[in-house]
Amino acid sequence: METIAVRIEGLVVSYGSFVAVENLSFAVKNGEIYGLLGPNGAGKTSTIKVLVGVLQPRAGKVEIYNTPISNEVEAKSQIGYVPEEVVLLDSLTPREFLEFTASIRRLDTNTVNSRLERFASAFEFKQYFDTPIAALSMGNKQKVAILAAMLHDPKLLILDEPLIGLDARSSKILKELITFHAKKGGAVIFSTHIMEVAEKLCTRVGIINKGKLVGEGTVDDLRKLVRSAEGSLEDIFLKVTEQEAGMQDIIKALEEE
Amino acid sequence: MKFSELWRLSSTVYKEVSFQSIFSLRAGSGLPQSGRRDIKQLVSSAKFNTLISKLVTSVFLAIFAITVFIPILFSDMGPSIPREIAIPGGISAFLTVVLFLIVFMGLQMSTSFVSSKIVDVLSPLPLSKRDISRIVFLCFLRIFDIPLVSAAVVFLAVFFFIGGSVLGGIVSLTGIVVTEIFALTLTVLLAKFFYAKVARAGGRSIFQTILRFMFMLVWIIPTFAAYFVVNFAREIVIAFATLTQGLASVSQTIVLIYPFSYGFLVSYAAFLSKIDYLALSLSVVASAAYVLLAYYCLRWVTGTVREIGTSAVTRSAREIVKDTIIKPQIPWVGIIRKDIRVASRSPSYASLFLLPVVQTVVLAVTFSSFSEIGPATALGLLTGISLLTLLLPPTLLSIEGLASAYTKHLPLRKRTLIAAKTLVATTTYIVSIIILTAVAFFIGKDFAAIATFGVIHTFSVAAAIMLEITILLRKFWKEGFAVGNIYSRITTYIMILIPGYIFAGIPMALAFLSFFLLPAFVLPVFLVAAAVEFALMTLVVLYQK
Repeated sequence: METIAVRIEGLVVSYGSFVAVENLSFAVKNGEIYGLLGPNGAGKTSTIKVLVGVLQPRAGKVEIYNTPISNEVEAKSQIGYVPEEVVLLDSLTPREFLEFTASIRRLDTNTVNSRLERFASAFEFKQYFDTPIAALSMGNKQKVAILAAMLHDPKLLILDEPLIGLDARSSKILKELITFHAKKGGAVIFSTHIMEVAEKLCTRVGIINKGKLVGEGTVDDLRKLVRSAEGSLEDIFLKVTEQEAGMQDIIKALEEE
Repeated sequence: MKFSELWRLSSTVYKEVSFQSIFSLRAGSGLPQSGRRDIKQLVSSAKFNTLISKLVTSVFLAIFAITVFIPILFSDMGPSIPREIAIPGGISAFLTVVLFLIVFMGLQMSTSFVSSKIVDVLSPLPLSKRDISRIVFLCFLRIFDIPLVSAAVVFLAVFFFIGGSVLGGIVSLTGIVVTEIFALTLTVLLAKFFYAKVARAGGRSIFQTILRFMFMLVWIIPTFAAYFVVNFAREIVIAFATLTQGLASVSQTIVLIYPFSYGFLVSYAAFLSKIDYLALSLSVVASAAYVLLAYYCLRWVTGTVREIGTSAVTRSAREIVKDTIIKPQIPWVGIIRKDIRVASRSPSYASLFLLPVVQTVVLAVTFSSFSEIGPATALGLLTGISLLTLLLPPTLLSIEGLASAYTKHLPLRKRTLIAAKTLVATTTYIVSIIILTAVAFFIGKDFAAIATFGVIHTFSVAAAIMLEITILLRKFWKEGFAVGNIYSRITTYIMILIPGYIFAGIPMALAFLSFFLLPAFVLPVFLVAAAVEFALMTLVVLYQK
């Protein structure tokens, strides 16, 4: 029987009177890379923040490996998270920051250091270990967040736009790591705006628009949904999110200017 | 660009800096889960808090003027100190307080000035470097506007109240303006030095750690100095009088030193009939030299303040890294190490951390004049220190807000967090007790009462800290510990402190009661009350998930 890594049922997230996520439901199984797609402000990051316990939902059921997210410590222990906007403790160095996260996670010194050595080498990050995070470039800050997310070998990886700021080499390594993690039996929830990456990497995708899930399945499933046999994920995405209509007129108007 | 335009632009920059000072948004605290209207409310409360902070500094100056400065000027210093000595002494003390209070306030604000990276935002706009410098400088002035104006107003008001002349008023105004320019210069100098040399040095070496600790001490000097002058203004004036009444050469040397040169000059220009022409000439020359120095300082500040508003100030030289080894600790030790590391690189946290210790040093100097230190004195001293220590928990918890949009996803238990923060805050209290006991021991006073009551009261203070943090966690665990969440509502802040103060005060009150009713039972009553509080709060904390 396949293990359900994440189960979301009837999720509602609101900011004051504004409803960002409305009655959202989906599940992610072990071994899956689930792509969460949607236009800006669709509710992807709000959904992810609820999953990692950063944001409180107004309603709905959220479980991580059958553990309700309200059981915070147990649920969070199973997650590795890379946020969309990487804002870490800027005055610390990566070494100090990773030491802090490893302490909170009660990680064993030997195990964590051998993992860290491998990841730091893979991302060519060793040279920045004693530089304050405030002084790092956006891509290198992203690498710190990725290292912190991988440090405890989590069962579930939740990555919100993880490729932003990464150079080509690091992007490639991260994509390989994500694939390897899923093959090993872990689960990945991955949010991105790069449709080509989602199409190549994800086992299934869920498209959110205006806080609602408007399409879900493999790319082939979605092609059937929009009745397009040839379309790329980008075309499907634009159709499903009702952004295709009028697009040509807008482009034309911009060209004429 | 016209001045009016620069002034208008500096207003926008200022709004951003004051917003940063409260919310540390870019530090990742994340806003509370609110709607647009709530965010507007938070913005206006940021403005309100900045205004309050300025007013507090101004009111403090006014109170100092009324309670210390005026009595000194009215020569309420005993028969041995004539008015012509008391006046320059008092004026010098006032100028010193203004200098250090403004520096203290400026250092608190510099963190937000740096974190706003406002020059990075302005640089891509079609503005010349000179205009950017001027905008940032005007914004910097806006931070201090009310205290700068009120210092001058209070000083002149006191001066004319005691019957100063117009000429003396002009000299006074010059003195206060020079002082304010020196204060701004010192602020920028310290901030620049700190961010360039300390905050951006991430090194692991013991040397770097010692260097950071030394700079933490440098940062608290203005705090300490302001506190010291306010508390010991009379003693300083007496010491000053003793010096100047002694050797003439000493008096002539002092006249050359800021702020005494202005003290003498104002006093000559306004009050004195008996004139020492040599001292007068020296004070005129020295004061003129300080005006010239202030002019150059002003030019330097205008050009340099831009540098602390850019991201470049925190850029660091890369070190040679030998390994990637980390040493994870148990969670509460991990939190404490992180807190200390953050505080040692953030001036506003560093100074707040060391405030109880500063107060203890001042208290230690005070009680050195007491004839004996009995239980009543000991309890009084402990009350003072505990009041200041109990201000720490909200500050300590606000460190968790610095990157809460990230750290909130970590599997952290409430009780671990409470234990770590309680230990840090209680340690500052213990350090204070050790200082007091050591001073009592070295000056040959009976230190037993302080040591005994101090050790027992530590349990009560620890319980009060646990109580404050538990309340804070109940309110902000879900919402997040953003600095803005805690400090934007003054009512919340007060509602957290009051229970803490009550908790720490209960054993004190019972001990005082016992002192009158059953004097033999003061210590047992105190011990039982503190122990019960500690046990109760430990149980509450253990119950937290």
